[in-house]
Amino acid sequence: MIPSIPHPLGNLIRSVVPYPELAFAINAVIAIIGICAVAFGSAIVLVYMERKVCAHVQCRLGPMRLGFHGTFQTVADTLKLLFKEVYAPGGADKFIFYLAPMIILTSPFLCLCMIPFDYNLQVMESPVAIPLIIAVNGFGILGILLGGWASNNKYSLLGALRGGAQMISYEISFALLLLFIVMMSGSASLQEVTASQAGNILDWWIFKVPVIGFLAFIMFLVSSTAELNRAPFDIAEAEQELTGGYHTEYNGTAFAMFYLAEYINLVTTSALAVVCFLGGYLPPLIGIPVIDSAFSLVPGFIWFALKVFFMIWVYMMIRWTFVRPRIDQLMDLEWKFLLPVNLLLIAAGAVFISFGWIL
Amino acid sequence: MFSNPFFTDLLFYAVAGAILLTAILVVTVKNVLQSAVFLIISFIGTAVLYLMLHAEFIAMVQVMVYAGGVVIFMVFTILLTSHLGETSFTVKAPRMFIAFVFSVAFFGVMTKLLLKEPGLTAAVPHSENSSSLTSIAMRLLNIGEHGFVIPFEIVSILLLITLVCSITIARKDKGEK
Repeated sequence: MIPSIPHPLGNLIRSVVPYPELAFAINAVIAIIGICAVAFGSAIVLVYMERKVCAHVQCRLGPMRLGFHGTFQTVADTLKLLFKEVYAPGGADKFIFYLAPMIILTSPFLCLCMIPFDYNLQVMESPVAIPLIIAVNGFGILGILLGGWASNNKYSLLGALRGGAQMISYEISFALLLLFIVMMSGSASLQEVTASQAGNILDWWIFKVPVIGFLAFIMFLVSSTAELNRAPFDIAEAEQELTGGYHTEYNGTAFAMFYLAEYINLVTTSALAVVCFLGGYLPPLIGIPVIDSAFSLVPGFIWFALKVFFMIWVYMMIRWTFVRPRIDQLMDLEWKFLLPVNLLLIAAGAVFISFGWIL
Repeated sequence: MFSNPFFTDLLFYAVAGAILLTAILVVTVKNVLQSAVFLIISFIGTAVLYLMLHAEFIAMVQVMVYAGGVVIFMVFTILLTSHLGETSFTVKAPRMFIAFVFSVAFFGVMTKLLLKEPGLTAAVPHSENSSSLTSIAMRLLNIGEHGFVIPFEIVSILLLITLVCSITIARKDKGEK
């Protein structure tokens, strides 16, 4: 199984380059460059966006000095981080200490490969994309656990254990909600999940299944916020209690990698929410012919980017408006509320399918 | 998978070498957590071998269950029992000897059994669709002659019972505080 790139560019290179292996290598390099561009580009934009959203929620202005309204602030911050000296604390396990940031970056990049940004704009179209995304999410937990342990710091270890327990718990809800969508659309491939929502805005899975689609979307928001380790569920960092949690001892490039993973995860989770509930790259047709034809002219990846940024904005508003629960309240929410409701939701979904109550 | 078998062979030997190397490191490294990390790399190597045989689903399950599930719980356990991760452990000579005898015996039996099989050839990738998610699902949920719907449902009920039981065990009793 060579992950073929279903893009006209990939076909062009396959037809021009005489050896299939060489064409595959060139295509792979192009895909890697594309994924890296999306990842690093979005991380820089998102850090700026986060600071601005946070500032405006708190009635401040945020970064204003560097460039127009502080646009170059994140570039300066990134440069500062990259030029810092990287060192491990004394007594730390150096091998695991430097391995942890690399492990934590694997899962967001793998997820990014499977996201269909447009009909032709996807690195790997896999028939088992959703189970694969659930599977590689485990590496994020592993990176946090190893990083927290290798720092040789009690705060880091506590943060890592709390974060690990939280992510393992919420992964169940996260996976079950994705499987709810798999059950509804009848396919685990993200391209086919998108295709199953073709039509107008009421055909998106959030509206297509009456009531429980919206319920599933809200639960997805909660469980993915916890899965992302973002406030209000940032138990792993909790800077007021744990001075920064699992990445207390990290600095320079290694810290930048943790930070980068957090923001790419934000992009991939928002993209998953968009693909599963909000119609992916399909335009939001509302049934009025004039507006619909104008909307259909806009390329799919622009719609996709707009929806993703809307979702990211929602996550940011959640982050800056809610307060953090205690760790036991967090666990209660998952095990005593979200999980039973999730099981009921899946049963209700089966009832809806068999009775044909889907719009 | 490649048009030229040379590349397939090259990939196989690279992956197999990586699996062997990391598997040896798992047992020789002094730190339990480092062993766990090498174990994950070894499992992912196995998943790549499955991918080379077009068994996409098995590869995905390998990553999900072993690399993503089992090893993470192992790491979690090591971290919770704090002293295991912090001090390097040593294995005494008699235990080393017993382990050596067992592994040589296992290797010998396996090679003997493999060589007994006539017409042993290299593994051939299966046809594209036989191991896809759809065909496995059709087989598992089939109520016909070749279906496995009853075992599948029993296993899923077992998993549900496990989930409910674990919540019940973890729950605080009314009087307890």
